[in-house]
Amino acid sequence: MKNMVFGKYIPVDSFMHRLDPRAKLIGVFLLMIALFVPDNWWVFLGLGILIFIGLLMAKIGVKMVLQSFKPMIMMMIFLLVINVLSVRTGDPLFVIGSFTIYSDAVFNTLFVVVRLMLMICITTLLTATTKPLDLTLGIEWILKPLNRFHFPSHEIAMMVSIALRFIPTIIEETMRIMNAQKSRGVDFENGKIGEKIKAILSLIVPLFSVAFERAYELADAMEARAYVPGAPRTRYHILKFKMSDFIFGLVCLIALGLSIASRFYL
Amino acid sequence: MSMIEVRNLIYSYNNETNAVDDISFDIKEGTYTTIIGHNGSGKSTLAKLMAGLLEPKAGEIKIDGMVLNEENLPLIRNELGIVFQNPDNQFIGSTVKDDIAFGLENRQVPSEEMEKIIEEYIEKVNLTKFMNSEPQNLSGGQKQRVAIAGVMAMQPKIIIFDEATSMLDPKGKKEIKKLMYDLAESDQFTIISITHDIEEVMQSDDCIVMNKGRLFMHNTPLKVFEKAEQLKKIDLDVPFVFKVKEAFNKKHIRLKSDDLKGLVDELCQYRSNR
Repeated sequence: MKNMVFGKYIPVDSFMHRLDPRAKLIGVFLLMIALFVPDNWWVFLGLGILIFIGLLMAKIGVKMVLQSFKPMIMMMIFLLVINVLSVRTGDPLFVIGSFTIYSDAVFNTLFVVVRLMLMICITTLLTATTKPLDLTLGIEWILKPLNRFHFPSHEIAMMVSIALRFIPTIIEETMRIMNAQKSRGVDFENGKIGEKIKAILSLIVPLFSVAFERAYELADAMEARAYVPGAPRTRYHILKFKMSDFIFGLVCLIALGLSIASRFYL
Repeated sequence: MSMIEVRNLIYSYNNETNAVDDISFDIKEGTYTTIIGHNGSGKSTLAKLMAGLLEPKAGEIKIDGMVLNEENLPLIRNELGIVFQNPDNQFIGSTVKDDIAFGLENRQVPSEEMEKIIEEYIEKVNLTKFMNSEPQNLSGGQKQRVAIAGVMAMQPKIIIFDEATSMLDPKGKKEIKKLMYDLAESDQFTIISITHDIEEVMQSDDCIVMNKGRLFMHNTPLKVFEKAEQLKKIDLDVPFVFKVKEAFNKKHIRLKSDDLKGLVDELCQYRSNR
């Protein structure tokens, strides 16, 4: 679990790391839309190059990007099989036995796969260059207009940042309980499904019990340090837009504009 | 002047037995008080009541002259900080600096002043090197030091340590105890420490012994341990020196010293005098 690549922050210093999290969030959102609009290979190539430049500027290695594709491979194969079996349009490409594979099936799959891969690249670009805490600050800022409708954006940001803070602690806890149960003869790896469910239950029940205990103690600690939900607070981290943030946002906006235009003119 | 006044305090978790049962005591400003007693004797409940985390069933608590009630609670929170037992469950920020900032943000300290305050208190607990570290990369003792810095940064008059060393390894225990003694010596704070550590009790000015929700004794540590027989009745341990004194007392030999070396000297003298 500790080797998970997807969504992990890479602590180096780069142009992308220094950008304001709000600019990155907005930029990533614009690029996501830009990826869904086009149906032309040249546009994908252009967006791909742009994202590749972004990855270079963030000092993210090719190896890491390839690793983040790993969990998707099964899904891509599944997509290909479904498409090959169901799509019956386009030119027949080749015949296996009595079954014909059509060109549209292959191209449709390729479109989806390329889209997915580029989307993973974009999200990696965001999460690898932005500390989780900065990300929550950015999300809080974006949700702020909803405060007018009594939407608790600050409380939600606080919840998210505490959840993020406790992920490593809970993983450590899980490992400890697992080892404790293993030492009592629980087998997590082998056995029939029924046995496996039983084994997992022996992990989940104590984990939940401990997590609730933690939550109560944490609530006490927060209250003792004068935290009152909904009360006004000052902020230690203050986000400031810089020139580079505007340029980054503008590049993303132009990419989206071109991608939409391609639908009409290409 | 009394910093804390507790009068006829009662609290119950289940309405059947009282976890804190009719307790009254005063704690003077600038003193270092330890609270001892078995698990379930009501020590932690007492601490939570004083910190305003629980609402008493009956009785009154006065902190620095203010009655603890809903209205005064925000003011009292400014005067009182508490360091809990579990180092992980009180680390709220994602890094050391952010954790200390958490309390300051709640107190609405202006953003531009925070950095200076945070660095000042990180230095006080000797963690400057770990300023940007995340909790999973810190030891238990280091995390407790962050918690202490976080409390100190809010400049309270009272700091309660609720078994703050009980989950630490010997090295961490030593560090935190040293920090606690230094804080007590600085006389800036009124310190209350809930503990099982007899050595720590000896360092304190006053000691409160709790038993089954009731206040069993409240006196200086020396006076408390002199009543070794009574403490034995409620299964509390007594420092070795006091055990020896108690044993000699039964043989009608009264010894005066309270430390091991003095006791040895006294015994040698006693022998040569005979």
